[in-house]
Amino acid sequence: MTAVAPGPRGRLDGAATPHLEMRGITKAFGSLLANDHVNLEVQDREIHAVVGENGAGKTTLMNILYGLIHPDEGEILIDGQPVRIRGPRDAIAAGIGMVHQHFQLVPVMSVAENVVLGQEPGGIVLDRAAAVRQVRDLSERFGLIVDPTARVETLPVGIQQRVELLKILYRGSRLLVFDEPTAVLTPQETDELFEILRGLVAGGKTVILITHKLNEVMAISERVTVLRQGRNAGVLETARTSPPEIARAMVGREVLLRVERDEAHLGEERLRLEGVTADSDRGLPALAGIDLAVRAGEIVGIAGVSGNGQLELAEVIAGLRPITAGHIYLQGKEVGAQPAAERRANGLAYIPEDRHARGLVLPFEIKDNLILGSQSRPPFAVRGQRNSAAIDQRAEDLIHQFDIRPPNPEAPVSSLSGGNQQKVVVARELAEDPKVMVAAEPTRGLDVGATEFIHQELIRKRDEGLAILLISSELDEIFSLSDTIAVIYQGRIVEVMPSATADRERVGLLMAGGTVESAVPTAAQIAEAAATLGSPGVTGDGPHGEGGA
Amino acid sequence: MTVATLPIERPAGRLRQLVASGIGPVLAVVLAIIVGGVVVLVSGSNPITAYQQMLVGAVGSPFDISETFISSIPLILAAYAVSFAFRCGLFNIGAEGQLYMGAIASTWLATTFPNWPGIVLIILCIVAAMIAGGAWAGIAGWLKAKTGAHEVITTMMLSYVAIDISHWLLEAGPMTPSNAYGTPESGPIPPQAAFPIILPSWILPNARLNASLFLTILAGVVFAWILWRTPLGYEIRAVGFNPKAAAYGGINVARRLVVAMVIAGAFAGLAGMVPVWVQMRLYDSFSPGYGYEAIAVALVGRNSAIGIFLAGLLYGAMIHGSVAMQANANISGFLVQILQALVLFFVGAELLIRWLLRRGGLRALVEAPA
Repeated sequence: MTAVAPGPRGRLDGAATPHLEMRGITKAFGSLLANDHVNLEVQDREIHAVVGENGAGKTTLMNILYGLIHPDEGEILIDGQPVRIRGPRDAIAAGIGMVHQHFQLVPVMSVAENVVLGQEPGGIVLDRAAAVRQVRDLSERFGLIVDPTARVETLPVGIQQRVELLKILYRGSRLLVFDEPTAVLTPQETDELFEILRGLVAGGKTVILITHKLNEVMAISERVTVLRQGRNAGVLETARTSPPEIARAMVGREVLLRVERDEAHLGEERLRLEGVTADSDRGLPALAGIDLAVRAGEIVGIAGVSGNGQLELAEVIAGLRPITAGHIYLQGKEVGAQPAAERRANGLAYIPEDRHARGLVLPFEIKDNLILGSQSRPPFAVRGQRNSAAIDQRAEDLIHQFDIRPPNPEAPVSSLSGGNQQKVVVARELAEDPKVMVAAEPTRGLDVGATEFIHQELIRKRDEGLAILLISSELDEIFSLSDTIAVIYQGRIVEVMPSATADRERVGLLMAGGTVESAVPTAAQIAEAAATLGSPGVTGDGPHGEGGA
Repeated sequence: MTVATLPIERPAGRLRQLVASGIGPVLAVVLAIIVGGVVVLVSGSNPITAYQQMLVGAVGSPFDISETFISSIPLILAAYAVSFAFRCGLFNIGAEGQLYMGAIASTWLATTFPNWPGIVLIILCIVAAMIAGGAWAGIAGWLKAKTGAHEVITTMMLSYVAIDISHWLLEAGPMTPSNAYGTPESGPIPPQAAFPIILPSWILPNARLNASLFLTILAGVVFAWILWRTPLGYEIRAVGFNPKAAAYGGINVARRLVVAMVIAGAFAGLAGMVPVWVQMRLYDSFSPGYGYEAIAVALVGRNSAIGIFLAGLLYGAMIHGSVAMQANANISGFLVQILQALVLFFVGAELLIRWLLRRGGLRALVEAPA
């Protein structure tokens, strides 16, 4: 890489010892080198971003730092002293704390109890008052506003994250590792988190931020370590780099961060929802009267904090969830009561939000997944028999066209990377020449390269006249792809606007429940909006939950 | 697309895949024999003699081979019933009851119309057995689809019902012939409706092995054909692996659950008819638990048509071979049950076997695509 530079402090302070040094870390899983002589150097009181595509080795490196994985080679130095980290206990003792992507909290316990868990004050009996006092002190010192007596399960996700943070601060950690911390946050909550991170650094802490969002890297970090395919791909100074440069380092080639998008050529209306209401899996109202229209050649983006009815919206259109009132029109024909198979036959395609739970039969081979939804139609079924020639041909075509790897039609889809799995879903859904597509979180969990590819495919199809309803919790994705933006909040479309004139701040506020009249949402509204995050409509059904459908 | 694409990879040959997926169960059998041998040794007998007697007893003569097949066939057919449902994600542990219903229906037909031409009667009996078994299993499938009632409970309960129906019918009930001397049994199956004997008399006079063997092979072909060559089978397997994805693919999950159970039950119905057509009479409690042993056979056979056929033969050989072993080596027949349990245990302990294989440097075999 071009811009390999020592840290800013390292240069300014002369020979300052880095707070953390990982040298020549190597770890192999079978024949795969997850980390190949990776170096990481983090200065004291620095916010250091670690970026890389999926499978670049970020998680492995951090798990080694936290003692969850043992490296084959390499050493770890804290303040210049070599340390041996055999497990999380050693890591904690060395002052390393980690805020995991999936919180490790006991939902039924209070904030204070969660924070002190494992190192409780008092003897045999927990001294609750002392715990509350200590946690309150800690939260005031770092500006983390949390009620220590609140039960964790009642708190919004953004606040739960603070509890996680308090936990590691309580253990006296100096080096704080955040694994994709903004994945579950609203834009406003993200801003608040960044304020907190700055406060922590001012208070003497050092932060490592693992992320794949380049705008966050630019906003908060001082330096970036880029990993690619298990190796160092450069250390960049944020002030002297740009998102395209970081992306190039991550992917190893030029990446189009901004999606090239021509003016939309709108055609006739293809999808229309009128006053659609539906219940969540728990039987609670999830959609409270949705009115929406998508035209040919248009991408309508649904912006919203996840859990505000997006899942249900996609499912009612796909025919996988009954509507309780209203009408759904597909190409002018009412389809509200049609089963999913018929809607598919009438030109509907659906990229589901969860490819593992919905979009793929994981143990099935690639070629069998590529015909899911068309399995009983010619040419894949002829006179009651499967037509292997047609199935193989489709697999070869799509594997080629979408560059699915490995290009083995008989590999089980479960053996593919997330990006390639998503390519299988997208390839299949586009293959039947659909007229309307619901694309829910089409790039969730994908790296820069795969995301770019799928965005380009969606734009290409839109230019060919496909009507696309895009549902995404990534505002960036909504803004870069949509022609029209609709904001969903508590099962209602609160506003529809052309994306050309849409304002990011305003969309963010609408997502959090702010109204047009009162541009600033109340604290209660934000908390409420964030609370819905905690219950993304994940089904709690058994393996045959669809049995009664 | 402008991206450079890789050439399509041609996957490993079917034969190699078959060998790779069979290596686990084969090793499980080997391990079971070794450990079983230790058990025999500890109990004070000579394991070599025991196994030798068992082997000779199972396949040592045309008669024994014939009898081994006879022991195996109902197990194989019932295991198809267990596996077919399992492919749809259903635990059909009530093959026993479906098998009883098949036996009852076919016997009833044959004994009610004893003067019909043989070829017509036997075909109708086969159909009747399959319909009865299928309907019985279909009840459980329907309950599952409509109400979510778990099939483990319903198939099990329906088994008791079916078995008790057979007791009622045979113990001085509607199916007991008037000239029976208090033995709970049906009237005889008319001789013209028997399956043809397939062992010529110059090999074995009075052999009992009949054309139901071909029926069993045909059943295996149908089993595999439905699952792998038809869209129905695709949908059933999709439901078995991921019902949510199946529904997403436009598959009517509820309907597939019922259909899978009905087809499974049809296999079991056949499994019930075959032993009756060997004894040429439906005896009370005629099944020594075929439907339950079939669960083990299905597991050892890895839910594949060929695997189940081979596993069924193995179990049948152990059952029949144990007779000679008990008589000639003076070793308890319970050794066979221990062996069967050990085979099952080691098949279940596949991870252990894979670990042992890796230690043994057979990595390439283990990591071949299953």
